[in-house]
Amino acid sequence: MRKFLAVTKREYKKVVFSRTFLVGTLLAPVIAAMFAVVPALIISVKSDVQRIAIVDQSGNVATRLKENLSLDKIQTKAREAAQDSLKNIDASQKERIETGARQFAGSFAFIDYDASGKSVEQIQRELNGRIQENQLDSYLIIPQNIDSAGVGVEFYSRKAGDFVSNSALEDALNDAILSQRLADANISESKLRELSRRIDLEATPINEKGEEKEEGGGYASAFVIGLLIYITLAIYGQVIMGAVVEEKETRIAEILFSSAKPFELMLGKLAGVGLAALSQLAIWIFSALALLTFGLTQLKAAGIPLSMPNITISSVLYFFIFFLLGFFVFATIFALIGSMVTTTQEGGQFAMIPVVLLLAGFYCTFPIVRDSNSTFSFWVSIAPFLAPLTMPVRIAIETPPFWQIALAILTNALAILGLVWLASRVYRVGMLMYGKRATIPEVWKWIWQS
Amino acid sequence: MCRKRIIIQPVILNNCSKSGNLNFKANVIQTDKSLRRFWINIFMDEQNVTLRVENITKRYGEFAAVENLSFNVSAGKVFGFLGPNGAGKTTTIRMIVGITAPDTGKIELFGEKVSSRMQDKIGYLPEERGLYKKMKIFEQLRYFAALKDVPQKTADSRIDFWLERFNLQEWKKKKANDLSKGMQQKIQFISTVLHEPELLILDEPFSGLDPINVENLLEVIAELKSKGKTIIFSTHLMETAEKLCDDIILMNKSRKVVGGKLRDVKASFGKNRIALRADGGDEVLLDKTLIAKVERHADELEILLAENADAQKLLQNLIQSGARITKFELVEPSLNDIFIEKIGAGTSL
Repeated sequence: MRKFLAVTKREYKKVVFSRTFLVGTLLAPVIAAMFAVVPALIISVKSDVQRIAIVDQSGNVATRLKENLSLDKIQTKAREAAQDSLKNIDASQKERIETGARQFAGSFAFIDYDASGKSVEQIQRELNGRIQENQLDSYLIIPQNIDSAGVGVEFYSRKAGDFVSNSALEDALNDAILSQRLADANISESKLRELSRRIDLEATPINEKGEEKEEGGGYASAFVIGLLIYITLAIYGQVIMGAVVEEKETRIAEILFSSAKPFELMLGKLAGVGLAALSQLAIWIFSALALLTFGLTQLKAAGIPLSMPNITISSVLYFFIFFLLGFFVFATIFALIGSMVTTTQEGGQFAMIPVVLLLAGFYCTFPIVRDSNSTFSFWVSIAPFLAPLTMPVRIAIETPPFWQIALAILTNALAILGLVWLASRVYRVGMLMYGKRATIPEVWKWIWQS
Repeated sequence: MCRKRIIIQPVILNNCSKSGNLNFKANVIQTDKSLRRFWINIFMDEQNVTLRVENITKRYGEFAAVENLSFNVSAGKVFGFLGPNGAGKTTTIRMIVGITAPDTGKIELFGEKVSSRMQDKIGYLPEERGLYKKMKIFEQLRYFAALKDVPQKTADSRIDFWLERFNLQEWKKKKANDLSKGMQQKIQFISTVLHEPELLILDEPFSGLDPINVENLLEVIAELKSKGKTIIFSTHLMETAEKLCDDIILMNKSRKVVGGKLRDVKASFGKNRIALRADGGDEVLLDKTLIAKVERHADELEILLAENADAQKLLQNLIQSGARITKFELVEPSLNDIFIEKIGAGTSL
């Protein structure tokens, strides 16, 4: 036992005091934050004031348009958009960018241009000339018969790619034309707003007993849980394999085996690296929770109330249990591969096997997020190799009956036992075999020989 | 238990407290058969056997790596474990160290059947050895000591002692990668003696060392021997083995070829070699009935007599031929000669 602890201690210290661990622990939250914040940051770089000429052949849109594009109106819209974006955390990336665009649209300056009595071609020629002379950035031609079908507003701009300003312009234009049409039809704008208020669909999940239930960690957090387990297992599996190959490559294995049982050494290694992985996960999870609590309090103070995802102690506990199960399943596979190959590169090829298994588990979480109670969800969340990824996701969405969780723990504990039995036969022989990679028939023989 | 033994045989009291082997001795007294063995131990000086290997066989599929091998290693002796590559030396050593187990036969270490529990009493320097490349020297040594159950404080003082002994103090905090191959070899040697094992197994300890370091290591091995440690020493270097070993075993193709006390082994090969210094008599040396082989050294000839040839006859012939003889000496074969004779010059070393 003392030797086991010595191995565990060394492996733990080796991983935790490495530069990669430090960088990984600090960088992962930064990267995660970047995915959330960077798109907004990028479009928040304000563009210059856009000089625009409006040619209104219909004669009744320009005034409203100018009003809609005024600084005041744009800022009001930006505020509304900011609140929208917070309410709508699940929104797709595209929607998010659009709301972001509304928040950060630049302002417009109107350039006067007398278009009376000129033909469209002539107007275009003249305005294009002014754009070339850099007196103008863009111009808009609103046709006379704006209401007839198939007629569009023509917009010319040398910054046609500036979707931020464009979408602001489009919004403003649509609003202006709508107002005009309403006025034509004798409907007041306030009346219309009242009539066309949107209905929000509030999805409240109901559990099997027919009761309404609190939405667990939310779908987004369920997805994050699956991703987190997948990434951590894949990374630490490779760490284990690297450590095993190192001991084989440098021939330390034989010295080690003359000091302690190979099996004890392997388990010590798994325990040490496993604890290191747990430490990293714990740092991430607790700092994320702390940040979330802090952030939500700040938002609440700013008048935007958002409730904390519903995280219970039991769900955190289950998360760690299934993480550990997954760790031992996959780490044993990685360790076995490490003991059979001769170099890290060779190991990389064979690491495809556990990585594909992990990936399969991760992809199975998508159907689970859609329907956590389907037959498919049931089977994949109790299957060995898959359950360590799928079951925590299922629990995050809706805690299944306890017997299903217990069954998943049991099947994976059995898988670990089987793998450990295999390892006890293959690991020692593999580690002492120098010079060539073990072939499958050879390994098969080791399993049944000893 | 001890008291019970005092009644039967007071002599053992000393043994009992010295060896600490209480259970074994106590059991010995309880059965007739063991009692006999106990008396044998007393009178035949057999408790001095550190390692007893009896009829062990290890097969890998069809291939027998070790076949029906037996030998004893006496306490406090240097035991040479010799043989060409693939003779089965490493396989045998792995069985002694408890890394693998023999298919049949038994291995007793310190009077007990070998098991992983005994690993802490053995220091094993494998032929294929290495260090963690990116770990600091003293951390590695501490780790290897911890794996042998040495408390950290004890380990630290021993690490300092041995680093000093090998002049490696300044490298203590360096990573293994920064050390030359020779230095790494010495660190590996230190890692095998940190737990002060009773039995040291050194597989090719000199490979990769320059002559100065070889001397240095030879001194250390002599010191350990003088402290009563038993040393099993495997090598291809017959000259070193000859200087160092009290007993030897020579293996070839999974089997023992010869074994025993070095001087007995040599004696059993007979004195069929002659060191000769003479002027003239060259034609006598061509006599195939008398002489099998002539080797010319710097200032003398080494002559291997033909089978059943008489050295006296050769001397007589030389004198008759008018040669002036300044040296004519019957010499023992060197270990190298024995090796080549038994295993054949064709076998790769």
